[in-house]
Amino acid sequence: MRTSRQAPRTSSAIVVYVIILVAFQVFLLTVAVEAFAADDESLAWTTATVSVVLAGGSAVLYRYLRP
Amino acid sequence: MSDESIPAEPPPIWKRDFPYEAAAEDDVTRREFARYLVAGAGVMAAGNVGIAAWTQLRKINTGEPREIVALDQVAVGDTYLFSYPADDDPAILLRLGDEEVVAFSQKCTHLGCVVYFEAEEDRWHCPCHEGNFDTRSGAVISGPPPRALGRIDVEIRGGAIWALGYQP
Repeated sequence: MRTSRQAPRTSSAIVVYVIILVAFQVFLLTVAVEAFAADDESLAWTTATVSVVLAGGSAVLYRYLRP
Repeated sequence: MSDESIPAEPPPIWKRDFPYEAAAEDDVTRREFARYLVAGAGVMAAGNVGIAAWTQLRKINTGEPREIVALDQVAVGDTYLFSYPADDDPAILLRLGDEEVVAFSQKCTHLGCVVYFEAEEDRWHCPCHEGNFDTRSGAVISGPPPRALGRIDVEIRGGAIWALGYQP
C-alpha cells in the first residue's frame, strides 16, 4: 500500500527514468547523424526504431506519474 | 512537499471573481517537467525516423546517364571532380589509361569525409581517420571504413566520359 511519503519518491524515480531515456535519445540522434553522413541506412533505421521504442517507454512512464 | 495522492480540487468561486496568483503557482510541477521531457523524446524519435527516411531516399537515387567531361581534358593519371548522382553528391574520377576510367563517390563510407587520390601510394585516401581504398575497385584496404566506396559506372562515348549510374 502506498503511503503519502512513498508517492513523491515514486514520482521522482519515474522522472529520473524519463531523464535517462531522453539522454539516451540524444545519443541516438548523434548516431543517426553519423549514419546519415556515412550513407548507412541499416544503422539509421535501427537507430530510429530504438528511438521510437524509447519515446514510447517515456510516454508509458509518464502515464504512471501521478498528477 | 505536498501530498500528491490528494486529487486537485476545483478553484473556489472567490478566486474566479478575484484572481490572485501566488509565486509558487508559476513553478513547474514534476508532471509538467516530465511532459516536456516526453515531448522532447517524441520530437527526437520523429527526427531519427526522418533522418533514416532521408538516408534511404538518398540511396534510391542512382542517377541518370549524363556526360561528365571531355576525355582529352583529363590526362592519364589525373583526377577530375564532379557531382553525381545529385548536384550535392561529390564524386571523383581517375583516368587510369587511354581507354580506362574509374569513378567513385568522394564520400568516405566511414563518416562522409572527402577522399582523394594518392598517386604515390596508388590508393584512395581519407585524411580524416586514415581510411584507404583500392584504386580500381574502391574496396577497403585499411582503416575504419566499413565498406567500399560508392561506385559510379562510367563509359567513354565519342570522346567524352559518361556517368551511367551510381552503385552505393
